[in-house]
Amino acid sequence: MTNRISFSHGLQVLLLATALLAPLIAGPYWVHVGALAWYYAMLASSWSLLAGYAGQFSFAQVAFAAFGGYASALLRLRLGLPLILAVAAAVIMAMILGALMGALVLRLSGPYLALFTLATAEIFRLILVAEEDVTRGSLGLQVPGLFSGDSDLPYYYLGLSLVVLTLLAMNGLLFTRIGLFLRAIREDESAAQASGVNTTLHKIVVFVVTSGIAALAGAYYGHFVGILTPNMVILPEMGLVIAMAVIGGIESLPGAVVGAVIVYGLSEMLRDYGEWRFVLLGLVLILVQRFAQNGLFPFLERHFDRPMPLPSPTRNALDIEGEHVNLS
Amino acid sequence: MTYFMLLTVNGLVIGLIYALMAAGLTLVFSVLKVVNFGHGSFYMLGGYAAYYAIGLLGVPPLVGVFIAMVALFLFGVAIEWLVLQPMYTGKVERKDEYAIIVTFGLTILLTNLALVVFGPFSKSPPAFLQGTFIAGPLILPYDRLIAAAVAVVLLVALAWFLARTSLGQALDAVSQSRESAAVIGINPKRMYTVAFGLGSALAGGAGALIAPIFALSPNMGELPGVQAFIIIVLGGMGSVSGSIIGGILLGVVQGLGVGFLPDPNRALAYTQAFGALLLIFVLLVRPTGLFGRAHTRLE
Amino acid sequence: MRSSKWLRVSAVRVIALQRRGIGRFLMKPIAIAVMIAAATCLLTVNALAAEPIVLGWVGPLSPPGNFSGGQEMQWAVQLGVDEINKAGGLLGRPLKVVYEDTKGQPAEGSAAAVRLITRDKVAAIFGEFHSSVALAEADVAHKQGVPWVGTDVWADKLTALQYPEVFRLAPANSLVYVKVAAWMAEQGFKHVAIIAENTDFGQDGARVVSNILKEKHVDQKLVTIDLNQQDFTPALLRLMSEGAKPDIIQMVVAGQAQYQIVKQACQLGFAPNAKTKMLGSTGLLQKEVWEVDGDCAKHLLVVNIATPKSQWNNKAKAFAAAFQKKYNRAPTGVAMEAYDTLGVVAAAIRKAGSAERKDIIKGLSQISYVGVNGTYSFPATTDPAWAYHQFIDVPFHIIQYTASNQAPSDAPIVYPKKWATTDKLLPAN
Repeated sequence: MTNRISFSHGLQVLLLATALLAPLIAGPYWVHVGALAWYYAMLASSWSLLAGYAGQFSFAQVAFAAFGGYASALLRLRLGLPLILAVAAAVIMAMILGALMGALVLRLSGPYLALFTLATAEIFRLILVAEEDVTRGSLGLQVPGLFSGDSDLPYYYLGLSLVVLTLLAMNGLLFTRIGLFLRAIREDESAAQASGVNTTLHKIVVFVVTSGIAALAGAYYGHFVGILTPNMVILPEMGLVIAMAVIGGIESLPGAVVGAVIVYGLSEMLRDYGEWRFVLLGLVLILVQRFAQNGLFPFLERHFDRPMPLPSPTRNALDIEGEHVNLS
Repeated sequence: MTYFMLLTVNGLVIGLIYALMAAGLTLVFSVLKVVNFGHGSFYMLGGYAAYYAIGLLGVPPLVGVFIAMVALFLFGVAIEWLVLQPMYTGKVERKDEYAIIVTFGLTILLTNLALVVFGPFSKSPPAFLQGTFIAGPLILPYDRLIAAAVAVVLLVALAWFLARTSLGQALDAVSQSRESAAVIGINPKRMYTVAFGLGSALAGGAGALIAPIFALSPNMGELPGVQAFIIIVLGGMGSVSGSIIGGILLGVVQGLGVGFLPDPNRALAYTQAFGALLLIFVLLVRPTGLFGRAHTRLE
Repeated sequence: MRSSKWLRVSAVRVIALQRRGIGRFLMKPIAIAVMIAAATCLLTVNALAAEPIVLGWVGPLSPPGNFSGGQEMQWAVQLGVDEINKAGGLLGRPLKVVYEDTKGQPAEGSAAAVRLITRDKVAAIFGEFHSSVALAEADVAHKQGVPWVGTDVWADKLTALQYPEVFRLAPANSLVYVKVAAWMAEQGFKHVAIIAENTDFGQDGARVVSNILKEKHVDQKLVTIDLNQQDFTPALLRLMSEGAKPDIIQMVVAGQAQYQIVKQACQLGFAPNAKTKMLGSTGLLQKEVWEVDGDCAKHLLVVNIATPKSQWNNKAKAFAAAFQKKYNRAPTGVAMEAYDTLGVVAAAIRKAGSAERKDIIKGLSQISYVGVNGTYSFPATTDPAWAYHQFIDVPFHIIQYTASNQAPSDAPIVYPKKWATTDKLLPAN
């Protein structure tokens, strides 16, 4: 067990070093792509916490990001609040909404929860589009940049620091009792409840944390891209975040970050293929799921570790049947 | 009063067609326990299949619908075999995530492939019947009337199939409990294939029925796809009758919402929101939808 | 030391896993290796050779952008590029255009712009259909000092920013819709229903129309639609039933959603007819309007951002013929704008005698270029703000279809007076 954790840390440090040094060899285009990837990385890793650790398959992550983006921008533009205050206020408001969401979905599970959150995200998107007096609708809400000059490097490093900070924060959370209880809830909620875990509180806590992070990511995105539109909340965007988390390994927060970088980087790389770009992306998603289902990062982890076959946490009739067929 | 009636009738008609699509989705869910996020793209493919069947083979429009359903059944079977089978032959661990990602990837693939293959410009198959049915204050284009009628026929046939035929009952058995079904000699794997094929055929049929009404484009399945999700959750996943009622309810609520919300501009802008709000409200009151089985969970 | 241990462990694993089938074991590392190799390759791809002149085109080619408009634009540009190269290229060098799909998403626009500028080292960027995306691209272009010329982006804001690098061929909403609204008032319409798409184009245009109508005391209702919606019947029913029935429906909708609005209005017996006219925009010029709407499209009024066929210069005629031949569809105003944008950039390069970015910017600000749609120049007017580097003399006219399957160029023209071929709007009351 100890072997696994320490090497995993080593690998993470290696990846961080790579990220820090990459701009030196990569060129301005990839720096720009990297800066955008950090937005997705924050969303993917926080979603990984929400869905992977707490079992809440929420489709509202991008909506919280958009909320953070729009709220911080509007607070700055309309009320003249300074940047840090505007972003902090947006994050806090998002956390309150996250708590509300967490409370509302308490009785829901699986696809019902997913679709409930999808419905709220849709409604939020429609509000962004319809209330154009406030949000400027599809014309887009322009957000002043953070740094003068024409280089994307400051954004890249800002984004990277935000990713690192949020990862540290989430990891910190996981190493407390809260993290342990979250794991328990995911494995088997009724059992956890029977053991005395306050599932209600913990689920809400996760929503609060992850919506705060999403809002922060959205604020970063708005200030980097310079313009916010309701199109950041469409279903394909959420699907992309989920794909990133799953490809990176749904129970691995750093894995989700790597997944985000890979998937977003891939979608940019595939530009060379013109109209086939997204056809190929869809194909890659399917193939990766089919052949590297546990995501790439845990694969790397396990590859450097003593092989210890883990029992699948949710064995069910399908598994049993599958084995039954194989034997005969 | 006329206004109210027209809105209701229109909502009913559209809702029935969406219910057809949702029935397919809920069938897939109840048997395979998979939410097919690619369902919207099957709907789109059904529309194009009918268009080309009518255009290239010269068949009448309703036959085109039938051909589209057959084509999508076969396509669904192929997809199920290629992409979903690994889920239950032990090659894949977390099935729910696998299913979501893979079907989502499928949507991206199919939508963009359709864009490349069929081109970006709208296409419109010929109408089932030109003209508008007018009876007193009631105005209903024949296309919509016929499409709704066919949808009703198909839904009734589906319900009969599930309740009365042995294959249908086998599907129902598997949806209730795989182990028990296997015990009594039903091959679950074959049922999965049938269910997925059938679900795809229903989506394709809905697309083919809608095609003369709304015209075809590669991303036409996006919005109906989301509405199908709303409908099946509304009606309770796994319940075909639930999805029928859910579909009708959604269609009518949307129509009335647009018609009666005080600010006409907002009313239209928030069209999709009515369905979403309805869903939220229902789930808060009944967490498994109107007719959902309480013990159905994604495993 | 660790590595040898790892090798031994891996060897044991390989042998152990061989029983389960090598294929499975190799698949994952192969997949990863392929992806890493591909990444390395693409990262170290050299910039294109200095020989050809490279330009960048941006526009929507997939959802959620307006991909049918974008496709037309791309086709028109490709035609132009072929023609230029057949005639010997630009400044004796071959012309190459890199096409980037921006999908209607601003983040895609900015990434595409950065890519074009830093990797492909383009001399200029042009195109685009969505104002919000254009704003993101223009920002990047401005920071990098790269000329950016807009083809079909209408929001006033774009040129109002007055970036020296940004030029626009398309009209500003204030240019066209002010006149359209004035025309509607002049024609004596008393109740106008505006149906606008909830995008930058629709919102901005609708606002302009609405303001003018208010000034002229014409009663108006505004309804916004989502382009993905397909059922407008409830909204149309509402317009028909609430308050005074409109005598004209103005659609500020760019694409093919208009077909549905027309079709459904027609089925309801609402419009277009003697009591209620319908006025739409570009999408209605494509031939699909007859396929989808059939006879309902007769009597549609359409705003066409182009010179009428009767006024076409030789360039326009040649372009239309070539486009029709190559793509089997008649080019609409959008295609002509796209073709002209390429022409304008090429002309600026020729005038400046150089493909350096600064020189192209200078060339663009001084140019006077005869294209298929008009004679272009981009004066640095500062009042009104949006007139900066804006092509002012944007030609547009309003046609009315009078017969089934009519081509836009054969339809009678009702506005402006200097080109009008008829002064009656059909069907007569």
